Amino acid sequence: MVNVIPKSLKEALKFLQEKPYTIIAGGTDLMVQKRGWSSTNPEFKQPVLFIANLAELNYVKVDSKAIFIGATTTLSTLLNHPSIPDIYKDALFEMASVGIRNSATIAGNIANASPAGDSLPVLYALNAVVVVQNIERKREIAIKDFITGVRKITLQEDEMITEIIIPKDVFTHRKWVKVGGRRADAISKISFVGLANIKNKKIVDFRIALGAVAPTVVRQEKIEAQCIGKTVEELQNNIEDIVAQYQQFIVPITDQRSTKAYREQISHNIIVDFIKSLSK
Amino acid sequence: MKDISKSVFKVDNDEKISGQAQYVSDIMGYDFLYAFTIRSEHPKAIIKDINLPNLPPGYYTVDYTDIPGKNVVKIIFDDMPVFAEKQVNYYKEPIMLLVGKDKEVLKNLASMVQIEYEILEPLYTYDNSVINYHFTKGDPVTAFKNAERVISFDYDTGYQEQLYIEPQGMLGYSEGEKVTLVGSIQCPYYVKNAVIAILDTTPEMVRVQQAAVGGAFGGKEEFPSLIACQLAVAINKIKRPIKLIYDREEDMEVTTKRHPSKITLEAAIVNNRIVGMRSKVGLDGGAHIGLSGVVLSRALIASTGAYTIDNLDVNGDVFITNTVPNGAFRGFGAPQMLFAIEMFIHHVATELGIDPLTMRLDALAKQNDKTSTNGTFRDPIIMNQMIEKAMEMSDYKRKVKEYQNDDSFRGIGMSWFLHGCGFTGSGESTHINALVKLKKDEQNQVHILIAAVDMGQGVKTTMKKIVANVLDIPLEQVTYNNPDTDFVPDSGPTVASRTIMIVGGLIARAALQLKQKWVEDYEVIVEERYQQPSYVKWDEETFQGDAYPAYSWGVNVVEVEVSKVTYQVNLLNSWSVYDVGKAIDERIIIGQADGGQMQGLGYGYLEVMRTKNGKVEHKNVTDYIIPTSVDAPSMETVIMDNPFPLGPYGAKGAGELTLVGGAPAVALAIENAINHKVQSIPMTPEKIMELINHGNN
Amino acid sequence: METIKFTLNHKVVEVEINETKRLLDVLREHFLLTGVKEGCGEGECGACAVLLDGDIVNSCMVPIANVKDHDVVTIEGYSKTKNFEVLKEAYAEEGAVQCGFCTPGMMIASEALLRKNPHPTEEDIKNGISGNLCRCTGYNMIIKAVQRASKSGEGLW
Repeated sequence: MVNVIPKSLKEALKFLQEKPYTIIAGGTDLMVQKRGWSSTNPEFKQPVLFIANLAELNYVKVDSKAIFIGATTTLSTLLNHPSIPDIYKDALFEMASVGIRNSATIAGNIANASPAGDSLPVLYALNAVVVVQNIERKREIAIKDFITGVRKITLQEDEMITEIIIPKDVFTHRKWVKVGGRRADAISKISFVGLANIKNKKIVDFRIALGAVAPTVVRQEKIEAQCIGKTVEELQNNIEDIVAQYQQFIVPITDQRSTKAYREQISHNIIVDFIKSLSK
Repeated sequence: MKDISKSVFKVDNDEKISGQAQYVSDIMGYDFLYAFTIRSEHPKAIIKDINLPNLPPGYYTVDYTDIPGKNVVKIIFDDMPVFAEKQVNYYKEPIMLLVGKDKEVLKNLASMVQIEYEILEPLYTYDNSVINYHFTKGDPVTAFKNAERVISFDYDTGYQEQLYIEPQGMLGYSEGEKVTLVGSIQCPYYVKNAVIAILDTTPEMVRVQQAAVGGAFGGKEEFPSLIACQLAVAINKIKRPIKLIYDREEDMEVTTKRHPSKITLEAAIVNNRIVGMRSKVGLDGGAHIGLSGVVLSRALIASTGAYTIDNLDVNGDVFITNTVPNGAFRGFGAPQMLFAIEMFIHHVATELGIDPLTMRLDALAKQNDKTSTNGTFRDPIIMNQMIEKAMEMSDYKRKVKEYQNDDSFRGIGMSWFLHGCGFTGSGESTHINALVKLKKDEQNQVHILIAAVDMGQGVKTTMKKIVANVLDIPLEQVTYNNPDTDFVPDSGPTVASRTIMIVGGLIARAALQLKQKWVEDYEVIVEERYQQPSYVKWDEETFQGDAYPAYSWGVNVVEVEVSKVTYQVNLLNSWSVYDVGKAIDERIIIGQADGGQMQGLGYGYLEVMRTKNGKVEHKNVTDYIIPTSVDAPSMETVIMDNPFPLGPYGAKGAGELTLVGGAPAVALAIENAINHKVQSIPMTPEKIMELINHGNN
Repeated sequence: METIKFTLNHKVVEVEINETKRLLDVLREHFLLTGVKEGCGEGECGACAVLLDGDIVNSCMVPIANVKDHDVVTIEGYSKTKNFEVLKEAYAEEGAVQCGFCTPGMMIASEALLRKNPHPTEEDIKNGISGNLCRCTGYNMIIKAVQRASKSGEGLW
């Protein structure tokens, strides 16, 4: 098993063309998942391709319509970058610890596809697009289509994530809620993103995404569409109806971190709280 | 004379801050073999057959057949095998060691070991009592017969994991027939005695040294004896240096934890006063008894907390279940009981419709009162001043009323508590019989020769201060190395808040003796042995008499805010007042206070550990949540002097005291915030939600 | 196996080793830098923290491949600096050290924080060290130590 440290993206894609590799960026997820007895080698079943040092994938670029983030950009870089949307920074700030954020990458977070991954609800809510590449072509996939299940993604063996695109949208209201076991550095029991753009008391954009309450992030554009166009007051008068509609998609489990009942009720509370906060 | 409490820099700061301190896993340089523990895959099963892979040269198995002595870890109650023989009684119980040079090879060999089991029905409920203690005070039968009203509540507490940041570990080697073990341990002589027994050898053939200890909190009291025995047997067989260091998950799955408990308290009420109480305590001992009986007795003796109740019926059991054995953890049974009694007195007052504070002040123990075991609180109790101070610092009286009546979801809670210093009952004289030594060498350097371990609580500094102060010499003229049983006498284990009061007391007396015998430039050695104060009488059978030579006291006030949306608890402030007799070093005591408080608070609201089908569900640091810096409230601590005549400079115990009041304080604060009775810890957001949905006001 | 060359405590070093090996293991076993501790092996406790290009990382999560051509400083290297002396003094003054097992990682976290933010608020400090678990102190004394160092080391960071 020969591991490789490519010097360029092109070289990396060439390796991938030859045979399957496990791709490691920061290592913060995989090095823990695959760890063995202390000081023995991690237990990777495939050779490993290391991409953390690919400088060409470490960037944040901006044009008038979108933000383009290179795959190996660390969460710390994003947290400190002026162009990253505030809602994402809210999430990043509460995500993991400084040491992990300095290693962990945006692409790693997406590829890991953990139901409790805190980047994901934000990227769903922001309509992020995942760019994947093989040696021959590039394709763009909406994040909700890219992640298909718990730790399942639609990445071919010869492909890697190279970029994340976040459209630039305007929001007047935002709410990030992370419900963890403690106030810092904890895996989420529930994570919530609420975004709204309100003009003259009228809702012109409205998005909700929830993490850790279903196998993948819950985002329901049909429910959102019902809210758009309404006044804040109309929406607030309809809170129970909206929440009831979300309920069928909030299908959490009981695990070592929390209970189904708690995740259900608190998701409910948070959605209500968010909608109520829109009049502020 | 200098005030001993005035803080000095801790003597081990430099080596620890620079990363030079050697913890056991840091010791390199010997040609170590490594040991990997093969463990049970079932909570209860008969071992039918073990199929081993072919071992390459230089690779060994070590199991019960290699034990020269009796296959049992000598602790207090000798029922834990060093290696399982015919039957396993908990998931991950050790069966054998695989030993060899290359960890990759060992890992691979371990994966090829096949064990055939006949699975037995495990027991997880509180049904198999193996220890029952019962005692009374006064006339509880009459008190309950004549009661106007009887009020009863149930309480339960969960596991708590010590989570010392350094996992358990030990290394060892042999020189001829002599075995040396170096480890992360609290009790060098516990380890030594266990190893003597397991090797069926003589004391001079076993040497135990303490490496730097990266936290212990009771977790390295009895458990290291198990690893030491396994390792000693392996070294005895293989005659090579061997290292056995646990990974975190292994540590969390197999090492002892704080006993979960179920407690029922009943009060006999006359004229709005508690005239009698019945307490029934059940501890989940896990698969082996070990220290559980001693933990239970401390819990039972703490039944009345900081209060005096004249008529008592106290009853407790240790139940055996097919789960990881539980054991020592800072507080040692008292945290469970103090949670229950502090909640209970509030719940009783609420039932009676009277102000809990009035009821508590009325019941508060006073000097010369009889303790729960008919001993006497001989020394002054300054709780009234301490309570006043704590209430003033925290603005308790105003806040508790305000929060009860508003919907701020803020709450404040105040716990009162005591902790008996030293071993329970006559343990100090009958079991321990501590001996300490001071040696002044020809260069006039004074060496402290005791078995007490500095596991962060600062005894290297405080012991040196005591000696330097008595002898009026600079701190640098005193040496205190990590204990090595070849050089230090058995001054007892580093447990039970006994180190400063008992061992420090002996050291102070030894220093005084040395002062009198001091001859410049000549070697002088002095010894002191523990003598039970003549007034302390204890009957171990009936639980009657003075359970402890002295008590330390404390008051904790905690203020919280509960989120109305998520029911998460945010600790806002914590105020504490302690009577530890006299602080030998104020900064060190404040450090004990802050750290103990954080552990106690974590126990009360945050730290969740459960077993499911006999397996620990929260077996790593990701799942078992302990407080981070962001969770810590701001803390204000006041130490009030109340010197104890027999302690060095008046010092009493401090280490455990600072933990035991945390859980009731935070639980009471949550109760105050949400206006529902809290009867269970940890009080997680999930449980708060349940209380808000269905709880009792 | 590729030879991995990097700067370790200001010296260029090379190792030929399985590229997936944890930086932690390489530091401790190959370079005998045992001030870097293993507390949990899953990036939660911070005892294994080192500076990678000046930023704090958990060395138990970093495959050795990732430090190729980068700069690693452990507590052993850091302890030779003026900044260390100031922080050390502050830790001692505030009583921030108990068992000491978290301390090297905590020092690295303190340094990493002060580098980015020489005048941190209490909140900043709490967030800055929240990836480093301490079971002994309850954190308050560590927080005060960082505050103290920020003042006494004025101009250093």
